[in-house]
Amino acid sequence: MIRVQQAPFDAGAEQRALLAGRSDIGAVVSFTGLVRDFNERPEVNALTLEHYPGMTEAALGEIVAEAESRWPLQGLRVIHRVGRMTPGDPIVLVVVASAHRRAAFEACDFIMDYLKTRAPFWKKEHSASGDYWVAERESDHRDAGRWES
Amino acid sequence: MTLTHLNPRGEAHMVDVADKAESRREATASGRIQMKPETLALLAEGGMPKGDVLATARIAGIQAAKRTHELIPLCHALPLSKVSVDFRLDEAASSVEVTATCRLNGRTGVEMEALTAVSVACLTLYDMCKAVDKDMEIGGIHLDAKSGGKSGDYRRDALASAPPPIVTGGSSAGEVSVGPRCDIAVPCVRVKCLAELRERLGISEISLPLDSLPSADVGGLKAALRQHDERFAGLSEGRVLCAVNQVMANETTPLTNDDEVAFFPPVTGG
Repeated sequence: MIRVQQAPFDAGAEQRALLAGRSDIGAVVSFTGLVRDFNERPEVNALTLEHYPGMTEAALGEIVAEAESRWPLQGLRVIHRVGRMTPGDPIVLVVVASAHRRAAFEACDFIMDYLKTRAPFWKKEHSASGDYWVAERESDHRDAGRWES
Repeated sequence: MTLTHLNPRGEAHMVDVADKAESRREATASGRIQMKPETLALLAEGGMPKGDVLATARIAGIQAAKRTHELIPLCHALPLSKVSVDFRLDEAASSVEVTATCRLNGRTGVEMEALTAVSVACLTLYDMCKAVDKDMEIGGIHLDAKSGGKSGDYRRDALASAPPPIVTGGSSAGEVSVGPRCDIAVPCVRVKCLAELRERLGISEISLPLDSLPSADVGGLKAALRQHDERFAGLSEGRVLCAVNQVMANETTPLTNDDEVAFFPPVTGG
């Protein structure tokens, strides 16, 4: 299940909902990304996330489908927030369930790496010294490149 | 204030550090290399003739830091405990920002090592990319911060060194509305500019008649947009991505009536 929303989410509640009534799942891995109070500059007060409605959902769908084709997964949830957030707020949640831990760990890692380099989201940070758009990171491309062979 | 590398007679000498107390020393330096937007795009895509540019420049920077004493006459040979070299691709400024950090427990500072790492990493970037761009310019090499030692901690004024922020006033709700349908009777394409690009160009959405395009593809659309408004020259500055009907596209992707074309900077979600 993929959701793009303005409202905050509860990672625990999302994981419980994914596992409810299931006894075939042997491993669940959950990743939550949070707003930090420092990034390219110190004193980040807030963050605004913009996206491209329509393409965002399609891009996330493709990433999830790719993960499902690479690993035997039994449940999956991806939530990405948009709009204005403050430090400590959750931004993104990826929960992956599988029969065994390796598939769950790897698929979660894969989804985040691809999400960061392929899904049309843009961050603008509001800091004490002004607003600026976050630049892409070479390390994110390197991380995503690990899955291509 | 005295120059420690000169003795009382004004001759160069190496400072005796044997009696200085060991402390944890760290220094960070940075610099940048300016290049054509096409060069930066090629670098980002890994399309350089000499191969993985950033990995090579990183190793060059680390090696250079370790050999600083061979290059700078009065520098001591230092057993560095850590050297890191990082790169940030700055599409807006069409440059690569290089940052190096050196650390050791010792008797003398490591700022020369960090500055050397940045300089040589920049030179290596030049060497790796010169086949496609000879106009590249290296500059702005400076110490960002140092800590440890008797002279105390130093931090370059963050505001003085940071590029001017992109100020946009109020922030949007974080969404782009889906553009209006083409309202002219002739076949046309709808264009959107997203995120930083929208603010840089000052244009959000526009429709163009399909027959105003010199060729019915993305490249033709860019030419027509530029004809329409000079601000669209910005579509060729920095790394600008394109999607046609919400699928990633390139210059040669064909366009037909009522297509939705979006231009945007590299993505930064997650």
